[in-house]
Amino acid sequence: MFVAFPDRPAGEGPGRSSSRLEARASLALLAERTRPVSASQTQLLPVLPPLDSLFPDTGLRRGTTIVVSGTPTTRATGSNTPTGADVNVALALSAGASRGGSWCALVGVDNLGAVAAHEIGIDLGRLAIIPRPGAAWADVTGVLIGGIDLIVIRPPFPPRPGVARRLVARTRERRSVLVIVPGRSKWPEHPDLHLRVDHLCWEGAGCGTGHLSGCRMTVVATGRRSAVRPRRQVLWFPRPPAGDTGAAGDTGGAGAAGR
Amino acid sequence: MNRLLVVRCPELLDEDEGGVSRRRFTEVVEVLGTYCPWVTTVRPGICSLPARGPARYFGGEDALVERIATAAGSITVVEVGVADGLFAAVLAASHGAIVPPGGTSDFLAPFPITILGHPDLAELLHRMGIRTVGDFTALPEPHVLGRFGGDGIRCHRVACGRSDELDAPPRRRLGIVAIPRQAGHSAPSGTVEATTQTEFWGGVSDLDTRAGRTLAAVQSLLGPDGVVKARLQGGRGPAQRARFIVWDARDNPNTHKEDATLNAPWPGQIPPPAPVFVHPDPLPAKLVDAEGSPVAVTGRGLLTAAPGRLSVAAGVWSSVDGWAGPWPSDERWWSRSRRRSARLQAVTGPSAHLLVVEQGQWWVEATYG
Repeated sequence: MFVAFPDRPAGEGPGRSSSRLEARASLALLAERTRPVSASQTQLLPVLPPLDSLFPDTGLRRGTTIVVSGTPTTRATGSNTPTGADVNVALALSAGASRGGSWCALVGVDNLGAVAAHEIGIDLGRLAIIPRPGAAWADVTGVLIGGIDLIVIRPPFPPRPGVARRLVARTRERRSVLVIVPGRSKWPEHPDLHLRVDHLCWEGAGCGTGHLSGCRMTVVATGRRSAVRPRRQVLWFPRPPAGDTGAAGDTGGAGAAGR
Repeated sequence: MNRLLVVRCPELLDEDEGGVSRRRFTEVVEVLGTYCPWVTTVRPGICSLPARGPARYFGGEDALVERIATAAGSITVVEVGVADGLFAAVLAASHGAIVPPGGTSDFLAPFPITILGHPDLAELLHRMGIRTVGDFTALPEPHVLGRFGGDGIRCHRVACGRSDELDAPPRRRLGIVAIPRQAGHSAPSGTVEATTQTEFWGGVSDLDTRAGRTLAAVQSLLGPDGVVKARLQGGRGPAQRARFIVWDARDNPNTHKEDATLNAPWPGQIPPPAPVFVHPDPLPAKLVDAEGSPVAVTGRGLLTAAPGRLSVAAGVWSSVDGWAGPWPSDERWWSRSRRRSARLQAVTGPSAHLLVVEQGQWWVEATYG
């Protein structure tokens, strides 16, 4: 819709100009009212502010795949317990989209701490959890890509290259965002963005004093095209400690999920 | 079987768009309510009430039928009938008859077999030369059961006047569930459709509908409990603070009700942040001090030694870099199902665990990341 306002000759009196101002105001109001709720800019899903510098578009571009992997030292310890730094980052990614009203799905995370998801900012009413998809995980993910904006998957088995390629292609076609937390297995496809938790330390617990207050992690993002230059960001989970201006100073002192 | 009086309004049997017929039927039901409080709406346009009590009060069934026909007739065209059981009473109403007690079988005998409402059965009987209900009732019951099965025997019992109502084939759900009794509120509320209807404002958006369809498709792949959603609730440990319920497509994500126990005080609760993993089955763990002797929690809630190393699920030993706690928890101390335990946060390298000790055994209850 385009409405031209022909310039009227000057000197028509104050009444005329005030009516014109009124018309402009009402036109602006009309434009605001008829503005589509989802503009073309919603090709991007929002992310929480401290994470946005990791993304070349400062948001999650629809149709992309993102791989989140934990620290290499985490995998070297060989302990049986899963370490959740990668899932933490994936949840923080979902939180931004969830606050924007998008639906999120978690596939293959059978031991999710729902309170943590809530604290990080995910709307639990719009979070579907498929805890144990089993052998059907790829089919389930394929179905979800059609109707859910952001899907976090932790494949229970190492995915075959053909399956991974099909899921990536479907994600690109259906304009969802696929976040893969491969854990110990490897994602065979080259993702659009790879977030790697580089360094991680837990703060707050002394030797019998205090309590865990959060963790500080360095996340490195590498990717294709505009994301080829590695970006590095220090993040706090779930929020920065009060009065902290130290290592996280360059992030603006904001945690990953500051409310 | 009950003596039933049925009022049938032939003009109001079909629902119209504006709901005019439904409102007029409500008026009829309200008028009948002045004769007997137990008016049952059978379907739009048909309602029934027990006839025995009102008939005795108003001086016989004939007098009652006359009174009701006059009263309801001022609103719309009505047909009134009395018989034993609902099936016969509805037929009696449409013929304006008062069937004497026990006379159901004779009353039904001349009707064609199709009135029993089972088209397959009716066609079969018709081809066998059984044209009327009377012919059908003449068949001995064991033979009917042997030849026509359960449906046949139900029809036979109704036709003989020994059963109240046909087990009707699936028919339209009743349009009217609750009819308000108060005068002035004549629009019937609580229709069946209203339960699935969503509001225009603040209702389910297109996005929610799409997500609902998608998740229903996933449920058809994995079974209903394949998709769950999380609800927060109150509790001490992280496992008790959330529960997972089967996802239901009919739930509106905007009407999220908070659990009442959420903000109640829970002594022994660990301060935030919450762990990102809560293990459904806690993993057994071993916690030892620097010398290698096991660490325990005393009855007063103190550690016997500073933790030095931790092994989870019989895995490798890793040194404990930091620890906090313990948080003793004494649940249900008043009862036999009393549980005493203590929780401890332990940091080993890049991961942090929430340990719980109960009767000397350590478990990894949750993992922070």
